[in-house]
Amino acid sequence: MEKTFLHNKKILLVDDEAELLKMVSDILTNDDFQNILVAATVKSALDICQKERPDIALLDVMLPDGDGFSLMRQMRQFTDIPILFLTAKDEAADKLAGLGLGADDYIAKPFLPQELLLRVYAVLRRCYKEERHVIHLEDCMIDFSRAEVHRGSSIIPLTAKEHLLLETLARNDGKIVTVDTLCEALWGDNPFGYENSLNAHVRRIREKIESNPSKPVSLITIKGLGYKLMTRK
Amino acid sequence: MKSFAAYISKYLISFSAFIVALLIANVIFFIWTFDSTIRNDYGYTSPQNMLEVVSESSTKDGTTEETEALLHAHQIWAIYLNPDGQIAWSYDTPEELPVHYTIQDVALFSKGYLADYPVFVWNDEDGLLILGYPKDSYTKFTTNYFSAKAVQKIPVFFIVMALFDFALMFCAYFLSKRKILKSTEPIIASIHTLSEGKPAALSTNDELSEVADSINKASHILSRQNEARANWISGVSHDIRTPLSMIIGYTELIGNDQNTSPASRERAQIIQRQGQKIKTLVEDLNLVSRLEYDMQPMDKKSVRLSKLLRSYMADLLNSGLPESYTIDFEITPNAENLVLDCDTRLLSRAINNLVQNSIHHNSEGCHIQITLDCDMNTAFFCISDDGIGLSSDQLNDLNEKTHYMDMDSTDDRLNLRHGLGLVLVRQIAEVHGGTVMIDSQTGKGFKTILGFPR
Repeated sequence: MEKTFLHNKKILLVDDEAELLKMVSDILTNDDFQNILVAATVKSALDICQKERPDIALLDVMLPDGDGFSLMRQMRQFTDIPILFLTAKDEAADKLAGLGLGADDYIAKPFLPQELLLRVYAVLRRCYKEERHVIHLEDCMIDFSRAEVHRGSSIIPLTAKEHLLLETLARNDGKIVTVDTLCEALWGDNPFGYENSLNAHVRRIREKIESNPSKPVSLITIKGLGYKLMTRK
Repeated sequence: MKSFAAYISKYLISFSAFIVALLIANVIFFIWTFDSTIRNDYGYTSPQNMLEVVSESSTKDGTTEETEALLHAHQIWAIYLNPDGQIAWSYDTPEELPVHYTIQDVALFSKGYLADYPVFVWNDEDGLLILGYPKDSYTKFTTNYFSAKAVQKIPVFFIVMALFDFALMFCAYFLSKRKILKSTEPIIASIHTLSEGKPAALSTNDELSEVADSINKASHILSRQNEARANWISGVSHDIRTPLSMIIGYTELIGNDQNTSPASRERAQIIQRQGQKIKTLVEDLNLVSRLEYDMQPMDKKSVRLSKLLRSYMADLLNSGLPESYTIDFEITPNAENLVLDCDTRLLSRAINNLVQNSIHHNSEGCHIQITLDCDMNTAFFCISDDGIGLSSDQLNDLNEKTHYMDMDSTDDRLNLRHGLGLVLVRQIAEVHGGTVMIDSQTGKGFKTILGFPR
């Protein structure tokens, strides 16, 4: 993996179950995360938060001296780092309560290590951008911070919509993103009938990033569903 | 409800029949009681008959001894008046009677009494025969006349009266039936609800409040028990989650650890796969019990079904499908803009359960097809595979044993061997007012159609 800048982020884990804490930190260290902080109570979690200034926190909902939601409220008073909930309750109400508070994601136990990692990465990527946010495709390199495509010696500028579209796809690197999600990202909440506009944007992007726009290798159509962006590893 | 209305009708009708029967019985009893008296009054010893017998055997000169004996036997006295009011002969007359009678006398006594003796007269050829009965043996009506109109009205009166009575009786029947039904209807409806295992609430301010109260109590107990059961299941599944997380987490770490021997890695992967099965079961069990007892909060929103399906498909393909399976989907042009009020999470879960079932039951691999279609009233999700399918017996079993907590049979325990996937699909369809149709043939795949009213 080359997401080195993400691996330097400080992760705070809060759970009263020592063995689970150990396992989650094992999963994260196994994936090359360097800075992992752990806490078993609301009190120690707040202490660590203030001293160490973590970049992201994974909180259990049930803690011996309070619950994760109130911990989050207290943390929010001095920091706005992304927060994920990790809990044994999968009830919809809890889920809504967590996300309603402004939590960034919610992971229900039991979870697969892979799932945990994906979600942590997704949240980190959404919240922290590299100084120079760059992705490499088969035929070019995209510099998001400058909204430019570098292809060979030429530099092609991206429009705002193209930039947004590519960024949405890049965030879901290698995964299918549905036309609905893309339309929502580009045109807001009620994007009925924007499919044709979306197609037009995709066509123009392909002309900028593909060496053969009629046989795309980077921005791929998944028939009837959406698109995915293949980056070069 | 219908059977109860019929029951009330039957009851009230038999009540009316009873009243009619009682009336008839009264008439019969009346006849039986007065039969002998009437026979006396109109039989052989009746005045009418006596007059005939006596007048036949008598002339203005006297009567026979036989007749005298007969009169004596019945304590009757007799007078034979000439047309001029003189007594031609008499028999056994009380002494206080006059010997001469004027026209006025005759006119008066012929309608009534002669010196308090009830008397009866017979117009004979040569005079007037008078028979006197003992005092107080007969009552004579001295004013026995009715207008002809009144007499003519009698039959009409009886018929109208009878009709009127019947009409009143019918009204009484109809009103009481309606009243009974009105007050019992909610009670019976809530008993029905209870029998389906759902809570019922009745207002308790009418005459049957006691019954309503009991039903409310029963309902309360039922929902408390249901709640307790759902909480228990939720508690158990909650406590399984953390240890299970660790089992799955560590076995995956071991399974991917290049320093571990291949054999151990494989074992860890097996434990991991089984752990995932428990994970699915625990998640399903909790949701099933919550839906079963109406404890799942619905998060219904207007959702474009095509978007929901595309989003599900993207998730499925992104999480990776094993190689031997292929999946395809189709959204018909009609259904593209179809909007349904539904809980997205639950609906996706139902579709996923059906897809996972197809994968689970066809270890050799198969093609899975999902179609979103609609007609005027219904939106359809059709999830089908071309796998091994089910025999007709198995299909019957599946359709009949719709419920994992069926209490009908004693030996049917909670069967979790095949998971709760289909139970959950049915419940999710139900909370959306939808239907589930399953079709399958051996070797010809398995097909499920979820229908939701638009």
